Amino acid sequence: MNVVETTGLTKRFGSRVAVQDVDLRVPAGSAFGYLGPNGAGKTTLIRMLLGLTNATSGEMRLLGRPVPAERKAALARVGAIVEEPRFHRHLTGRENLSVIAAAREPEAHARIDGALARVGLAERADDRVKRYSLGMRQRLGVARSLLADPELLILDEPTNGLDPAGIQEFRHMIRGFVGEGRTVLLSSHLLDEVEKICDEVAIVDRGRVVVQGSIAELAADGKQTILVATSDNEEARRILGEHQAIHSLSPENGHFRITLHPDVEAVAAAGDISRRLVLGGAAIQRFEPSRVSLEQRFLEITTRLEEAA
Amino acid sequence: MNMRLVNAEFLKLRKRRGLVIAALVITVLPLLIAFTTLVVLHANNPVKNGPAGGMENFSGSMEILILLSSVAAILVGATLGTGDVGSGVFRELVVTGRSRVALFAARVPAGVGLLLIVVGGAFAITAIGSTVFAGSEGPHTEQVGPGSWETSLGFLAPSGMLLLKSAGWLALSTVVAMVLALGVASLVGSRGTSIGILLGLWIVAMPVLKELGVLGSLRQGVVGVAIDRLGPVPLVPSDPAVPMSLAAAVAVLLAWAAVPLAVGAWRTATQDA
Repeated sequence: MNVVETTGLTKRFGSRVAVQDVDLRVPAGSAFGYLGPNGAGKTTLIRMLLGLTNATSGEMRLLGRPVPAERKAALARVGAIVEEPRFHRHLTGRENLSVIAAAREPEAHARIDGALARVGLAERADDRVKRYSLGMRQRLGVARSLLADPELLILDEPTNGLDPAGIQEFRHMIRGFVGEGRTVLLSSHLLDEVEKICDEVAIVDRGRVVVQGSIAELAADGKQTILVATSDNEEARRILGEHQAIHSLSPENGHFRITLHPDVEAVAAAGDISRRLVLGGAAIQRFEPSRVSLEQRFLEITTRLEEAA
Repeated sequence: MNMRLVNAEFLKLRKRRGLVIAALVITVLPLLIAFTTLVVLHANNPVKNGPAGGMENFSGSMEILILLSSVAAILVGATLGTGDVGSGVFRELVVTGRSRVALFAARVPAGVGLLLIVVGGAFAITAIGSTVFAGSEGPHTEQVGPGSWETSLGFLAPSGMLLLKSAGWLALSTVVAMVLALGVASLVGSRGTSIGILLGLWIVAMPVLKELGVLGSLRQGVVGVAIDRLGPVPLVPSDPAVPMSLAAAVAVLLAWAAVPLAVGAWRTATQDA
């Protein structure tokens, strides 16, 4: 079952098209990454799904219900953080949650304490939100989204502004939600974040979804490469020149990229290549296998956008 | 009406310390100061200064309180109309799936609730002061100069019925001002701008319009004229400068309340969150 389905979803602001003909399928029980550079239309799509703005054309279904026709029923089991979570700064964390709980089903009030404990804010729940750090506000945003006991969590750039420890904590939290059978739709411009958290991904460019599938599929679909830097890159390339697993060697800035033959077993090949380099006397400074298809597609998009800017 | 939503709106309002203090300072404090001053003056020189209570002072206090409670109502209404959007929480409320019109509607009783407490406190001071510090002199007319006469309502305590009617009149005026402010602020989206517009209307434009005889019966459409028409005699003259029927006054007030509410609800329902 898909918890999010869109067909031909389009949003125009005057002559500018922010989201164009998006057909999205988010399977239940997965962490789904919606990946694209800033300005690609990620937030606009989420805002349409949540009824914050109207679609120009196209159809949407959330948890099997058409929106906006059955918006209230659909959103009853959806929690969301859109951009930076916002609060009444003059209220405490607990009071902010009670304000939102009042707009939800009566049972939502009973979930406040559990939600605060879940995100580690039980001790600070009675402090005013204006005294919260950004990380605490992000966690309070998650607690607020849990008041719905959500089947679907929609998180738009949830790690923005968090420190590395906070980001890691967030990743664990999201995987925990998926482990409980919830679905997480995570919008991000960070490839690394999506790869570490998500099972499936859609890459979006200029409002269009350019590729969609499981991360494993997309990774397997492309060439396997290894980024290598040694004390003497020329010598290293000579050592590896005849290796049967290697399709090509191309120098890049300060390192070189090895592209493997598509039919070789990548892990075994990487092990053999590193062994050869060591035996050949090359001091390895960097050895980084990568998935070309996902990374390359994303880089192509971001590079093109940067050039256009 | 969803009481949980109303309670949430009331919580948001009452926790705004600045707003609550401002409303108290505008309404309760001036009356406390006024009655304290009148009591002290009367105690120092009872011959020159009449009693602090009685009808004369009750009438004067109500005239001030009607104006000040409207100012407090404008502050509260404008805050209600812009608080969620200004803080960004409106988006979070919409995401719950709750009807936007229901979110808007819950603001009205919450605002009325806060204002009834604050303005009720101010009215209580007025009513108690006027009764406790009343004198024995009834209404009279006296000559204050050659051919010049002044009418006094006297210093007898206001009757229970008059207090009741006055409380209702004050509540009506306050609620109309609050609802108007809520609607305008929801439409404009800016608290400061809305307060500026409404104070200009209430304090400057309305008194001027009431006095513009050239407008004739068009003045019946001025909200202040309709409010005056519903005031209890003798707090308002029995022969007002702008005569209008009771039904017309009620219709004008309903329009001044319903139109801003409808516009505010429409804006809340249609704006991007």
